[in-house]
Amino acid sequence: MKKKYLVQSTSFLRFILLLSLFVILVIGGFTYRHISNLTDSTEVVIKTYKVNVELEQIVSYLRDAESGYRNYIATKDTFYLKPYLNTYKKVNNSFLRLKGLIEVNSEQQENLKVLKILTDSLFSNFSKTNVFVKNDETNTEAFKTLYFKEKIIIDSIRRQSTVMFELENKLLNIRQKENQSDLQFTPLFFYSVLLATLILIIIAYNKISNDLKNIKAKNDQLLIFKESTNQSEIIGNHGNWIWHIDSNKFAYSDNLYRLLGKDPQSFEATFDNFLKFVHPEDVDKFAEDLDKMIDVEELPVTNYRIIQKNGSIKYLKAYAKAFYSVDGQKRLIGNTSDITDEIESILTLEEHNLELERNNKELSAFNYAASHDLQEPLRKIQTFISRLEEKEGAKFSDSGRLYLERIKSAAARMRLLIDDLLQFSRTNKPDKEFVSADLNDLFENAKQDVAEIISEKKTKITCDNLPKATVIEFQIQQLFSNLLSNSLKYSKEETVPIIKINYTKVKANDTPDLLKASKSFYHKITFTDNGIGFDQKYAEKIFELFNRLHNKKEYSGTGVGLSICKKIVDNHKGYIFAKGEINVGSVFTVYLPVN
Amino acid sequence: MHTDYIHIILADDDEDDILFFTDAFDELKINTRVNTFNDGEELMNYLNDDESLMPDVLFLDLNMPKKTGIECLREIKTSDKMSGIAIAIYSTSASEEDIEKTFVLGANIYIKKPNDFKKLKKVLSEVVSINWQYHTNALNKDNFLLRL
Repeated sequence: MKKKYLVQSTSFLRFILLLSLFVILVIGGFTYRHISNLTDSTEVVIKTYKVNVELEQIVSYLRDAESGYRNYIATKDTFYLKPYLNTYKKVNNSFLRLKGLIEVNSEQQENLKVLKILTDSLFSNFSKTNVFVKNDETNTEAFKTLYFKEKIIIDSIRRQSTVMFELENKLLNIRQKENQSDLQFTPLFFYSVLLATLILIIIAYNKISNDLKNIKAKNDQLLIFKESTNQSEIIGNHGNWIWHIDSNKFAYSDNLYRLLGKDPQSFEATFDNFLKFVHPEDVDKFAEDLDKMIDVEELPVTNYRIIQKNGSIKYLKAYAKAFYSVDGQKRLIGNTSDITDEIESILTLEEHNLELERNNKELSAFNYAASHDLQEPLRKIQTFISRLEEKEGAKFSDSGRLYLERIKSAAARMRLLIDDLLQFSRTNKPDKEFVSADLNDLFENAKQDVAEIISEKKTKITCDNLPKATVIEFQIQQLFSNLLSNSLKYSKEETVPIIKINYTKVKANDTPDLLKASKSFYHKITFTDNGIGFDQKYAEKIFELFNRLHNKKEYSGTGVGLSICKKIVDNHKGYIFAKGEINVGSVFTVYLPVN
Repeated sequence: MHTDYIHIILADDDEDDILFFTDAFDELKINTRVNTFNDGEELMNYLNDDESLMPDVLFLDLNMPKKTGIECLREIKTSDKMSGIAIAIYSTSASEEDIEKTFVLGANIYIKKPNDFKKLKKVLSEVVSINWQYHTNALNKDNFLLRL
C-alpha cells in the first residue's frame, strides 16, 4: 500500500516535470514568433516610408524641373534648363527603386504605371514646347495650348502621387492593425501560461514536500520498528541475520551475538566465524542446510546446537528466505531462535510422561494381578468355610458358630472388594472400541444386571427415550447398572424406591456445569432417586476410590462403584456430577459429548 | 466303550481344587470315574497313548505349568482322535479374553470355579448331565459361560 503510494507519487512528479518543460517550450516558440512578427511590421513601416520618400522626391524633381523650365522660358538663359535635363534621369532611377519597393501585382503597381505614363508624357511635352522657345514663338496659339497641357499633366502627377501616398498609408495602417491584434493577445497568453507553469511548480513543490514529510514519518516509524525489533529479539531470545550472497558478506543483529554468548558486534560476521560456534556433531548438517538454502531460496526450519565460549550448549532453530533488493542483489534474510528452554522442557515433559506411563502401567498391572490372584485363595477359603459349615457345623459351640459366621461375612466382603477392584482395573484399559450404540438397549441390559434387586424392592423405574451415541458399549452399560445399583443400595427402607432417568440434549455454553467443556453439545442423562441422599459437601468425595459415606454394616458398598462410573465417564470425555439431600434423595447427572 | 459310568478327567495343578472336585463327585452319587492330572503335559501324554480310555468330559484348568490349558485345548481340537471330547474350561478367572479365546478354539463350556461347595456340586452335576450333541449344536458365545 505504501509502496504503491510512492510509485504513484514518483510518476506524478515526472508528469509535472514533463508538463512544465512542455509549457516552457511553448512559451519559447510563442516568443520567437512574436519577435519575428515585430521585426516584420517594422520592416513594412520602413518600406512604406521609403515609398513615400521616393514619391515625394519624384514630385519635387518634377516641380524643380518645371520651375527651372519656366525661368528658362522667361529668360531664355540655358542655365535654367540644367535641373530639367538632370530630372529625367533622376525620376527614372526613382521609378526603378519604387518598382522594387512596391509589391508585385498590387493596385500600387498599376498606380506606378499610370505615374510613369504621366511623367513620360510630361517630358515629351517639354521637348515639344522647347522647340517653340528656341524658335521664339512663345506667343503662338500652339505653344500656349502645349504649355497649358503641361500644367494639367503636372497636376495629374501630383494627384497620382497623393493617391499612391494615401494608399501606401492605408496599407500600412491595415498591417499595423493586424500586428497589433496579434501583439495584444500575446502578453495575455504569456501571462496565463506563466501562471499555469507557476501553479504546476507550486503543486510539484507541495507534492515533494509532502512526500518528504511522509518519508520522514516513515523513517521515524522504521526507527521505532528497529528498536522494537531489537527489544523483541532480546525478550524472545532470537536474532536475525542477512547474507549478501553476491558479495558473500554477512550482517548479524546485536542479539544474535548475545545468543552466541558474545557482546554485540564483537567479532566479524562471517560464515566461518559462525561455524566455530556450531556443535561439532551438527556442523556437517548445518553446512549442508545452508548450501541447500542458496539453491532452493528458502530454508526449511533447521535445528542445530551451538557451544558458547563458557561451554554451555544451546539449541538453535533457524529459518531463512531469499530476498532480492531493488537493484537485483540476492540476499538471504534469516532468523535464528534460541529454543533451549523449549527443548529442555519438552525433554523433561517427555521424561515425566514416560515415567507416568510406566507408573500407570505398573499400577494397573499390579491392580489387575492383585485382584485376579487374590481371587483364588479367597475362593478356597470360602469353599473350605462352606465345607466346614456343612460337615462340622453341628459340632460347633454357639460362639464357634458365631465366629464362623463372621469369617463367612468377612470373606464375602473381601470377594465383593476384589470383584469391584477387578472391574475398576478393567475400565482402566484404554484400548476399547468406540461404536455407535442405542443407549436404550444398554440401559435395558443394565436393568437386567440388577433385575433381582429391582423386583425384590419392587422398584419403580421410569426412563426417557435415550439417544444413540458413540460409546464403549460395555462400559456405558456398566455405568448405568452401577448408578442403578447405587440408587437401589441406598434406598430408604420403608419406601418404595423410585428411580427416574431423564434425558435432554444441551449446549455446553448454556450449562453452568459445562463451562470448561471442550465440545459444544452434550447428552445430559440424570438419575434421580428418592433414597437416603447425602450431604452435598461430599458431592465430590463420593467418586473417590474406596470412599464410603456409610458404615459397612448399614450399607454394603465397597466405595468402588461410583469410582468406576467416574472413570467410565472420563474415558468418554464426559462429566458426572452428584447432588444430594439427606432423606430426600440424590441426583446423578452424566454428560456425554455428542459425537 | 463303557456305558455304566461317566468317565471324567480333570487337569488342574491345584491340589485343593482337585480335592474339592473329587469330593464333590463322591457326594454327588452319580456313577462316575474321575481321573486327575497335575499339569498339561501329563494330560496330553495320557490322551496321546493309544491304550488310554478317552473321557466323556474333560475339565481343563487354564493356568497350569509345563503346558497351559489353552495349549492342550488347541492340540486336542486339532487332533482327529480327540476332537470329539467334550471340553469344559474350569478356571478361577472369567476374563473376557480367556472366554473369547477358548470359545474360538472350540471348548464346549466355560465354568468359573465357584466359591461355595454346594454351588460346585450343582455346577458339576449340571455339566455331566448335559447332552453334548444338543448343547454343541446350540452353542453360542452367550451360553458358553455357564451361569447358575
